[in-house]
Amino acid sequence: MKRVLVFFCVGVLLCAVLLASAFSAEPKITLRMGDPHPDRQHTWGAVIEQINTAFEKAHPNVKIVSESYQDQAWQQKVKIYAASNQLPDVFKYWSFAQYTGALANAGLLLPIPEKQFAGMGWLPGTLDPNRFNGKLYGLPISVDFLVIYYNKALFDKYGVKVPATIDQLIATAKVFRDNNVIPMVTDGKDAWPLNLLWDNLVIRTTGNPTLIPKTMARKFKFTNPLFMAGTKMYKQLIDNKLFADDLLTSDYGASRNLFGQEKAAMYLMGSWEQGLSTDTSFSEPFRNNVGVMKIPAGPKGTIDDLQAWGGGNYVISAHTKYKSLCLDYLKMYYTMFPKLVWENKVCIPAQKIMTSSSDNQLSKELMSILSSAKTTSGTVHIDLSTADFNTTGNKLIQELTAGIKTPEQFLSELDAAAETASKSK
Amino acid sequence: MNKFFSNKKDIFLMVLPGVAFLLFAMFLPILMSVYYGMTDWSGIGKPNFIGIANFKAVLFKDPIFWVSLLNALILSLVTIFIQNPIAFAVCVMLIACKKGERFFRTVYFIPAVISVVVTTRLWVQIFSPQFGLLNKFLSLIGLGFLKTDWLSNVHTALGSVIFIAVWQGFGWAILFYYSGLVGIPKELQEAARIDGASGVKLYTKVVLPLMMPVIKVIILNALINCLKQMETVYLSTGGGPGDVTQFLANYLYQKAFVSSQYGYGNAISVLFVIICILATYLLNRFTKEDVGEF
Repeated sequence: MKRVLVFFCVGVLLCAVLLASAFSAEPKITLRMGDPHPDRQHTWGAVIEQINTAFEKAHPNVKIVSESYQDQAWQQKVKIYAASNQLPDVFKYWSFAQYTGALANAGLLLPIPEKQFAGMGWLPGTLDPNRFNGKLYGLPISVDFLVIYYNKALFDKYGVKVPATIDQLIATAKVFRDNNVIPMVTDGKDAWPLNLLWDNLVIRTTGNPTLIPKTMARKFKFTNPLFMAGTKMYKQLIDNKLFADDLLTSDYGASRNLFGQEKAAMYLMGSWEQGLSTDTSFSEPFRNNVGVMKIPAGPKGTIDDLQAWGGGNYVISAHTKYKSLCLDYLKMYYTMFPKLVWENKVCIPAQKIMTSSSDNQLSKELMSILSSAKTTSGTVHIDLSTADFNTTGNKLIQELTAGIKTPEQFLSELDAAAETASKSK
Repeated sequence: MNKFFSNKKDIFLMVLPGVAFLLFAMFLPILMSVYYGMTDWSGIGKPNFIGIANFKAVLFKDPIFWVSLLNALILSLVTIFIQNPIAFAVCVMLIACKKGERFFRTVYFIPAVISVVVTTRLWVQIFSPQFGLLNKFLSLIGLGFLKTDWLSNVHTALGSVIFIAVWQGFGWAILFYYSGLVGIPKELQEAARIDGASGVKLYTKVVLPLMMPVIKVIILNALINCLKQMETVYLSTGGGPGDVTQFLANYLYQKAFVSSQYGYGNAISVLFVIICILATYLLNRFTKEDVGEF
């Protein structure tokens, strides 16, 4: 009898505790998020974590569950989520047509009320790539532009000046080659930086920053003779061994490491790599010696013709149950983000920032390149159409680089791919 | 119990769960692939039915599909006619030498134990034009003129990728041949020796015919693996430069997941399944010789 009584009392007590906890606890909301930054200790990932922590602190009933994969894996993941209608509530993506545009056209993204984000200090033109069908579907993160990072110590050692023209760049490459130093590295395996370079060379040989977007809109053809000079100039750079011998098998990480380990004198990449000057995985002398230069001038385009575009963005799923909460998150994100990324040397944000005298040399040089730009062209041509066009464009530039295609064949097939893509959009 | 097993209805009920699972796990995805292959689905939004347009495009308008298939066939031929004879010869030597057999058996099997990711990256480093071991070695022995960018050069890229894939499969070939060779009763070989067969004759007239069932399995396995080749290509060249080293599995992955042409990718995958089934059928048909029991 005594045992029964004890069991009864324990049971009652347990029920009471369970009921009390059930009634007292506020229902927890889980916000699903995602981004392509699996490293949560440094740069982007660390910044996002800081913002998430601040948001959870301000909203005690909200729990953020975030998943992160490298760029391509994250793109695949989002496609799979989109196919099964399970997109995260709010996530980082890319503003290009084949990414945000495809999701927006399928009705999977929430149009963002622009007025709620007015006064966030957006830089001119940065919101535009996120508009599809007249509505804003994403908020930009950064201003990206193509530059050449270089190792000042290696330039000094071999008495080389920063090249101001493409001819000088070729001469520079020869000096480094003669001294067994790789002149320039980039991510040739994925090939998109090569397409960015080709875009720049077209601008530098035509002096027309709107030619490529107009051609993608099918007002011109890539077979137009205007494109030939830039294509031949690209081939000239390849034939003069500007790049590492294993250009086409060298991926992002491998090329970055070669530059960071001072095996290569130059690194063709976007402005988001300003973290090179603070990356502790590279030696201190390298970090102190890394500089950045503009893409050299051609016969018509100047050194201040800058190809700048809005890359990453944040979007909200159309099927989220917490629309206002997602908007609140983005408001907090874009309030905290510019200062945090600038301080952490992550990127140049798409919002106005206060530079200070304590900014390091590389950051100052990057800001100087941006502010001295006389013309700016936008997104690289391969990102102005379908995903298939992107793949074909990257393959074609690889074939041009490897000598499989002549400049004529390259332009002809690029035009055919653009035509097919424009019809299938 | 006997009554139970003689009742066809009972047997059917016993087999049904397994068959249902097989149908669900194998045939349903293939059927779904056939359906999606007949759509223009990009992976996002609703698919539109377009009939056999994708299949026609793959077969008649897509040269890369045929390049990929040709590359897979070249890899199969190299595996069957170069890797396999070498593996067989090594096994014969291993068994004949006896001394150090266990050590060398382990050494030869190492490539099969290490992850494909690791071995592929290892060979990419060896083939590196700037810092790779191969080019440095060529310089060292006075063959510096042969130095090249092995994986980016259109003339050497396919050969280099095939070499890596064949090297990775060498351990398995050794394992199969070794098991087959030690499984042949010694009495048969001794009887053949007494009858005057020795050296090459012993192997060509006695051992090889007895090994035929094993060889058939190895060849079939090699053929299927070569057709399915993806990891090594993806991790080394990604199918490039251009499509010089493109293989079927990598190509369909690129079409479906990079180019967002899921419908087209599914059409390739269906044709891929048909090719694999056809290859298996033909191989079985041409190697149907029965060696009897031993």
